[in-house]
Amino acid sequence: MARKAMLIDESKCTACRGCQVACKQWNELTGWEYSKTVNTGSYENPPRLTPQTWTRIKFTEYDSRQGFRWLFLKEGCMHCGEAACVDVCPTKALKKQADGRVTVEPDLCNGCGYCSQFCPFGIPKLEVASVITGQAKASKCTFCQDRTDNGLSPSCVKTCPAQALFWGDRDKMIAAGKKRVETLKTRGFAAVNLYGEEVVGGLGRLYVLIEKPETYGLPADPQYPAMAMMWQNVIQPLGKIAIGGTVLGTFVAWLIIRRNIKMEEVE
Amino acid sequence: MNGQGEEAGHIFQIRWIPKYTFVERLLHWIHTASFIPLVATGLVLYLDTLKPLAQGDAGQWMRLVHRLIAVLFIAEPLVYGILQPRRLWLHIKEFSFEKDDLGWLKNAFSYYVRGKHDAMPPQGRFNTGEKINGMAMIVTWILFVVSGLIMWFGKGLVSAELFRWMVVVHDLTTIAALCMFIVHFYLAVAHPLMWAALVSMRFGVTSATYAAEHHAKWYYGPKRAMELYEAKKRNDSH
Repeated sequence: MARKAMLIDESKCTACRGCQVACKQWNELTGWEYSKTVNTGSYENPPRLTPQTWTRIKFTEYDSRQGFRWLFLKEGCMHCGEAACVDVCPTKALKKQADGRVTVEPDLCNGCGYCSQFCPFGIPKLEVASVITGQAKASKCTFCQDRTDNGLSPSCVKTCPAQALFWGDRDKMIAAGKKRVETLKTRGFAAVNLYGEEVVGGLGRLYVLIEKPETYGLPADPQYPAMAMMWQNVIQPLGKIAIGGTVLGTFVAWLIIRRNIKMEEVE
Repeated sequence: MNGQGEEAGHIFQIRWIPKYTFVERLLHWIHTASFIPLVATGLVLYLDTLKPLAQGDAGQWMRLVHRLIAVLFIAEPLVYGILQPRRLWLHIKEFSFEKDDLGWLKNAFSYYVRGKHDAMPPQGRFNTGEKINGMAMIVTWILFVVSGLIMWFGKGLVSAELFRWMVVVHDLTTIAALCMFIVHFYLAVAHPLMWAALVSMRFGVTSATYAAEHHAKWYYGPKRAMELYEAKKRNDSH
């Protein structure tokens, strides 16, 4: 199946935050955690991704050559090609779908939170009922699994009035993104770039950025965490061999000693 | 063997001598009773066949039980250390290695696997293998507790990189401790020469004959034990 992707053209985003509303509405996410809105010194709202906020527009204020400027970034799960969250999830609640979407099945999640700690972008969030008991559920953007499974686009793409969001086959999204980058270059955006084509197995969320990724607060070169690699591919298989080997070794040792020792002589 | 056990018909008369105190045995069994369920509730995350137990509500229960028992696992040595700091220190000293432990290690395979009786250097109340187990338990306890507490309370507070390290450390420690446990369990329960070990840990006593052979340095004192050992070696070589 062709890999799907979302293309986000940040040069067009007006930070209307329709995507945030559409996401909350379609996925039936509450706003309980913001019953008290706090002034954080920025127009951005809410201030961060949470278990109930799977996408949001991050505002970056910076001083460009043309003076003060806002950069808008539609944050959310990157749906990595090499998804560390899926690899470390011990319950298979996180799944890599055939078309590249990384989905979460809340019924399977036991709240261990490894996904939130191994994600190179820090995206999955835990809704923690109690730190003491460890009761929790992980959640994140699933590209509106129930919509995309049925051939629709994610709700944020559907709603975007600035037409900054696109959904489709990843090849086509990359081609469109590159074309947009070329167009913007001719219009004087010197630093414009397409983010996510190659990193971490290729992202399912591609950005046309008008400044360097670091200016938006995105890692320039995000990495699949080395610890996840070592843990899943080295330590766990070797551990199984070590434990199995010890069981087998003691059993063989028992067979040998049983032959060599006459119990009548043991005192 | 120079048995104190007298044979009367088919009945052995065993002279029992005290080996472990009540508190030592209590701590041993509290540790056992916490370690086994901790491993069991941890393995559901590790073994694919147990995966259904790790998922959803069952998984949340596993994690809750793991935490409850962890409290016991953490508290047991701490309470002991606070109430009996001198005794805890004596244990650590008893577990410390000496020069002649090397001799034990050299002959361990021949003795424990092939069942050859000769040339085991005299041992204290804990032999070299038990010392290794004891030390491993102290080290793994520290690693378990530090990595476990950071994962329990530090999620989101400590850096993701530190958390990842703690997951890996907890995993490695489990693998090491489980391997030690398997060998420990085998020696205590199934090894024919170690028949008195489980008796000692249950009732606190051991056979004098067994102690003389396996723990001579403790039974006779270091000097006499060495003399007997040298004499036995001379006899064997003749």
